Amino acid sequence: MMFVTALHHLVVGLVAGSGVIMGVCAILTWLSTYITNLESSKTTLDRAAYVASIFTLVVIPLAIISGYYSSTNSGGAIFYNKFIFSGIAFGFSASYFIGRFRFGPELWRYSSLANLQMFSALFALTSIIILGSIGSKITLGESTLDILPFWPDFMNSIVINQWFSLILAIFGLISVVISLRSSSMKFYLND
Amino acid sequence: MKSRIITLSAILILLLATSSGVANPGGKGDSNRDYTCGGSCHGDPSLSSTSSAIIDVEMSSTAYSSTTTEVSVSISNLDTSDNGLVGIFLLGSKNGNGDHPEDYGWTIIQDPNGGTSNYVEVVSSENQVTVSWVLLVPEDLGVKEIYISIHHGSYYNHNNKAFIGETDAIAVNIEPIPENYPTLADGWTSPEERISGDSSTITIRTVNTESLEVYWRLSGETRSHEATVEMVADQEWEVSLPATLGDTRIEYQMVASMGDFSNIMPWLSMGTSEPYFDGTSLGANLQSISFALIILGFMVSLQSWFAPRGVKKIIDNTEEVDNSIIEYQESTTPELDEKYWSRLIKSDENPGWLWDPIENEWVADPELSKGGDE
Repeated sequence: MMFVTALHHLVVGLVAGSGVIMGVCAILTWLSTYITNLESSKTTLDRAAYVASIFTLVVIPLAIISGYYSSTNSGGAIFYNKFIFSGIAFGFSASYFIGRFRFGPELWRYSSLANLQMFSALFALTSIIILGSIGSKITLGESTLDILPFWPDFMNSIVINQWFSLILAIFGLISVVISLRSSSMKFYLND
Repeated sequence: MKSRIITLSAILILLLATSSGVANPGGKGDSNRDYTCGGSCHGDPSLSSTSSAIIDVEMSSTAYSSTTTEVSVSISNLDTSDNGLVGIFLLGSKNGNGDHPEDYGWTIIQDPNGGTSNYVEVVSSENQVTVSWVLLVPEDLGVKEIYISIHHGSYYNHNNKAFIGETDAIAVNIEPIPENYPTLADGWTSPEERISGDSSTITIRTVNTESLEVYWRLSGETRSHEATVEMVADQEWEVSLPATLGDTRIEYQMVASMGDFSNIMPWLSMGTSEPYFDGTSLGANLQSISFALIILGFMVSLQSWFAPRGVKKIIDNTEEVDNSIIEYQESTTPELDEKYWSRLIKSDENPGWLWDPIENEWVADPELSKGGDE
């Protein structure tokens, strides 16, 4: 499956690129509230982060699928961690996208929402950096982040029972639906 | 202007930080390969050059058929690239195809890295490398040849060439195995690795062996220890070697005896692998999806919690509808005003006022009241 391995390397590059654009632009947009020099670029940064978040949501599943079928997947703990961090990165990227879609560019005017968006983007970016580091460990045996003294050992992983994972997934899905429905009712009542 | 300079500088730094495009500078890993990888890039004379390395090979010039023998390779005077990586081939010929020793009847019991490949990659230390293969000698009698070839990069390598070194044929005269010669069974290979902390026995199969002694030592040690050996079946032995942890390699040597004759075999080694991991692909996918949904649910709930009153959804068009109503009203007002003002009657007695005969009331004349305060 050499084609899938090469495709995986390509898609991972796209994930890293779009994830970094999303994270950096979102953080700069958040900072523009406090740094007047960035005020003029706020709209551009916000739109760039928004578009990058959409692209990230498209390429992360592709990276997961191609990684699953690539020749480097030996099924060990380090690959398990890769799947988990892919899910975390997708969750935070999706949170950023949904927040921006629901509230529009005006959300940056409200500090609580702006902080939440910034943290979503920051955690998504961090997860993608960790994903890249794990990938580097697999292919090269080392990563740039090895210099950090507190870097976790990715040769071990926390394995949750599959049924419990399924229950968690259903619980998460229900909570998303309820949150979106209740918020739409709230807006309706406010109007 | 300043920002442009900063941007251009950043782009220039990023461009300079990229590595040059050379083929597999980090190696391709251990595997079974023909001479110069089957005449690929490194076989092209325009892409390769002769290595300055000196290759010494130690191998018994005679060997008994179907017994073990060791090929020890010492490489010195190496000039490698930054990573010190050297690729070493053990070959049966230098044709560019069908060069694997197994094509000539040899069986690799163990390569220098613990596997069973004829091509291994090792990192040099102080421009030197010493490795060894343990082979099972072919059954066919007569003279057989073995070759060693190496390839590596170089620290000063502006043309990105591969440096290739090779030996002449090392001839081995294969003699018939003496009757009842104690040795390993045909097809037995050394286990490549054991799981960290695993102290289970390893199984060894032999032929013509009355007793078996096994000695072990950790990689780098000189002192050896005798292991416990138990015969579990005819010519089948279970050897207890101590458990290893981390990336430790354990080496062991077998001495097979028949009567007064003993066959001292080469040292073999065994690596340590990570413990068994019980996670499955399905579990990983489910856990990944569940984490994504839990995070999404939590963050969306927080968004709803933090959403202030008055922040409208992007799909809420109330404002546009209100604006359009106001615009409509404004567009119709001038017509109404025209009818209204046309019915009003001016009065000379009351300048500045107009009489509305329908409503029977006086209305201030806007023509006179304009700018009245000024």
